[in-house]
Amino acid sequence: MLVQTAMGFLAAVTFGYIFRVPANQSVRCGVVGGLGWAVFLAAQGHLGEVGAVFLAATAASVCSEVLARRHHQPVIVFLTPGIIPIVPGGKAYLTMLSFVQKDYTQGVVLLVTTLFLAGAIAAGIIITSAVFRNFSRTKLKGR
Amino acid sequence: MIPVEQLVGLILTAGELLLTCGAEMARVEETIERMGRAAGFVQVESYATPTGLFVSLHDAAGKVYTRVKRIRGGQSNIALIAEVNSLSRAFAAGEISAEEVQRALERLQEQGAPDSFSRKLIGGGGALAFAVMMGGGWREGLVAGVVGTLVLLVVSLMERRFPKVLQSAVGSMVAAAVIRCAASYLDLNVNVAIVGAVMVLAPGMVITTAIRDLLGGELVSGLSRSAEALVIAVAIATGVAVVLSLGGA
Repeated sequence: MLVQTAMGFLAAVTFGYIFRVPANQSVRCGVVGGLGWAVFLAAQGHLGEVGAVFLAATAASVCSEVLARRHHQPVIVFLTPGIIPIVPGGKAYLTMLSFVQKDYTQGVVLLVTTLFLAGAIAAGIIITSAVFRNFSRTKLKGR
Repeated sequence: MIPVEQLVGLILTAGELLLTCGAEMARVEETIERMGRAAGFVQVESYATPTGLFVSLHDAAGKVYTRVKRIRGGQSNIALIAEVNSLSRAFAAGEISAEEVQRALERLQEQGAPDSFSRKLIGGGGALAFAVMMGGGWREGLVAGVVGTLVLLVVSLMERRFPKVLQSAVGSMVAAAVIRCAASYLDLNVNVAIVGAVMVLAPGMVITTAIRDLLGGELVSGLSRSAEALVIAVAIATGVAVVLSLGGA
């Protein structure tokens, strides 16, 4: 679990580099990524994959919004690399692999799962950002 | 005081920089509006898409300045987005003058993106992390890390000379081929290692921005960015698929 969280941290920091986040913010990106991945792993057993991804995306977005306000950065600085660990890249790959191996039934199952996971991430992000947009406008102007 | 025409150009440049770095449409339009109002225009209309930017600025005398800017694909650069964002805020708050904004924007435009070897090495670290997160052991992680660095090197060699789709396809072919060969010497979980290595090609930023655009009601850019992400993802998948089916997976 600790190793996995560290890997989530590492993935977010490195993808932060690929997306060129400001250098002094990359550790905070890592924190968001590590948090998201840890939440996912912790919740997976109880809520299933889709629910866990939703929760993880929500946690990562909340963390990003808070960090963005505290450090006067756009939210995407933290959110884009931070969400990377929970993106269903592996599922998308397996989907493709199943189709190549002519296992269409498995392929469609994986495809639908991938879409649901992507939808869960989108939902987590949008709900959080809508809540923050509506309830924190007075405290801090703009993002 | 700099002439109005130049001021219009300035606002357009800020928008262009944001778009080429992959900012969301809402941010681009907001920035243009903010800068336009700060520059003294009474009405500011802008329409941003990932491939083009339209701006109309109405001054107090009723004169309208309209410009169109064709946007050509750039590289994700969140730091630059953050810079332009804070510049426009400082300008709107009256903390810096138009001349200063212009100088800063020119500097940002020139500076571009330094693409060092260390960036690729760090990208390889991302591949390592992904391979381990997908359930791989240290062996898969190390192989994915090395191959991820290699993939980024290959892609940067093809940069600007080949379309992005081809870059992604060739990158993933290289990744799959190298890992497939390595698997005949090492005891590897091929799938996990390949997923890790090709993740460095995945259009992560495009997808996140597409989601934010779509759900924010920016349908045109949301859909076109989703299409971009889909095309790249399919290219990556095709690259891997070609190699794996040749190798008899």
